[in-house]
Amino acid sequence: MQDPRLEAERATPPGANAATPAAPPVEFEEVYLRYASMLRKIAVRKFRIPIAEAESLVHDVFATYFMHAASVHAVEPYLVGAICNASRYYLRRSDAAEALFCSETPCMAVPDRGLLDEIDRKLLLSRMLAGVGSRCRDLLHRYYVNGETTSAIAGAIESTPGTVLVFLHKCRKRALDAYRAISGRV
Amino acid sequence: MEHIAESELAFYAFDPTAVSEERRRAIESHIADCAVCRTAYEFFAVAEEDLSDADVWERNMGSATRESLMAYAARIAEEDEEAAELLKPLFDAPARVAWANLHRQKRFLNGGVVRQLNARALALRESEPLDALTFADAAIAIAEALPDDTYPAKAIYELRGKAWEHRAVAQTVLGDFAAAYDSLARAERAHKKLASPAFGLAAVSLIRASVHYCQQQFAEAEAIAEKAERAYAHLGDDERRMSALFLRGGIRFEASDLSGAIVLFRQVLDYGESTNNSRWIARSLNALGNCESDRGNLGEASMHFQKALALLREIGPANERISTQWGIARVLLRAGKCHEAIRRLRDAAAEFEARGIVTDAALVSLDIADGLLALDQTHQIVNLAARMFRVFTDAGMLTGALTALAYIKEAAAAGTLTPDDLQSVRVFLRQAKRQPELLFVRPPTRNR
Repeated sequence: MQDPRLEAERATPPGANAATPAAPPVEFEEVYLRYASMLRKIAVRKFRIPIAEAESLVHDVFATYFMHAASVHAVEPYLVGAICNASRYYLRRSDAAEALFCSETPCMAVPDRGLLDEIDRKLLLSRMLAGVGSRCRDLLHRYYVNGETTSAIAGAIESTPGTVLVFLHKCRKRALDAYRAISGRV
Repeated sequence: MEHIAESELAFYAFDPTAVSEERRRAIESHIADCAVCRTAYEFFAVAEEDLSDADVWERNMGSATRESLMAYAARIAEEDEEAAELLKPLFDAPARVAWANLHRQKRFLNGGVVRQLNARALALRESEPLDALTFADAAIAIAEALPDDTYPAKAIYELRGKAWEHRAVAQTVLGDFAAAYDSLARAERAHKKLASPAFGLAAVSLIRASVHYCQQQFAEAEAIAEKAERAYAHLGDDERRMSALFLRGGIRFEASDLSGAIVLFRQVLDYGESTNNSRWIARSLNALGNCESDRGNLGEASMHFQKALALLREIGPANERISTQWGIARVLLRAGKCHEAIRRLRDAAAEFEARGIVTDAALVSLDIADGLLALDQTHQIVNLAARMFRVFTDAGMLTGALTALAYIKEAAAAGTLTPDDLQSVRVFLRQAKRQPELLFVRPPTRNR
């Protein structure tokens, strides 16, 4: 019979981890942009880890992943397993060795349908923002993320709050057009 | 159909109670029928909240984490490129690596060199374990010499852990199990320093299970292989999970728990069929053939072997194809078709021998000897054993196998050889394949 010991040793498939350079940064960047948000949300929502700490865990998970990216067969479950691992380790529910896998079935880190839908929607929104122009992007960012009031923005761009509201409306309209173009919806 | 103004839809989406009840009903009724307005409404309804999520902006506005990780990724790529160039002349000369003390030369002191050496050790650890050991040792020396904070998130420990893993596998193939356990302990310690150590720890478990398996410590081997299997399931790595599952099947087979082995190999077969993975289908069918053959279900065994052979003829590898042909020949032997079985067994032995797979060639020869014994042609067994003795000597395999083959030759010449003697040697050779240091002890003399 074929020696199964060799099967175990062949755990890394031929070609993976071979003497080729690591994937170029552009691939890493795409993986990061695709999954970073999901990992943050899993750490924060499923494990109740503070946002700043979750950011640090996500950073560390990717830092480890980049080191052996070529030998990872399935990126998404690997990263989900890794953030679960890192979160549980952070919470000291178990030591590193026991964090090898979680005892829950299915693993509590596995994102549910609602979270996956949200991630997909936000990824779409994110790509859509690339097509609204830099002025609109800046305006929307200041208003939605920085939480600046229309008055504050008006002061900064030497305008009036009313005009800022009009700009905001136009930018949302542009965003809607970009959304329609990307999503292929009417 | 007249559409609702987008400004009103936006207004309604942000706060439905801000419009009159009558107008609200009109809007709701309209968007139920109008795809254009419904799309706009849905967009506005989620945009307000979604746009407040910083993650949505990362692609366009960047973030400190992204910048830091991309600088790190660029550094990895650059290091790998430089290291590949630097190590090119050394890769075909492991002895030069052994003598060069790379870790004492500044230009070799970086993570890229460790990654390249690890990759080389991985590529060679089964076929050329001594060379793999050299590369793994060099990788370890450099990785240990690098500061702990060489990379963010203590990622240097990933490289250290991986190098110790390769060392452990090479040592296992060489039969140095005590050293392999020590290397695995070091690999484990390194991986535990990482924030997400599961990937490395799962690999350590799988290798450790293999070492226990090689030492015939089946209970420990299976418990650890199961742990690795669960870890890989958690990481969604089905290929490696199958490796762990297949190892578990092999452990059950070696422990003579054929029913248990069949259950596990069938799971591997199911996986292979569901993913259309010919390699796993062929391997599991071959393994199932062996189980059924040992259970005496020769019809089923033959069916499994024939299916496996059809695939292996197409996809290889040659050694697995020959193993399957060997299995078919054993089925014929057990069915009493000795002449046909011996003919096929001789073909399989010759193919193994031609590829330098000497121990398997000797194991096939033992099956030939079984057939010859049944045909009462013991004089041919003397020649067969003498020939295998020469093959082992020519291959430089001066192990206990030589003593075992000499014993067969003597017993056959004396006319005292029994099927039990052949089985004792068979068990020994299978163990010696994994433990080259093992010494052959002659079976107790019985009334012959």
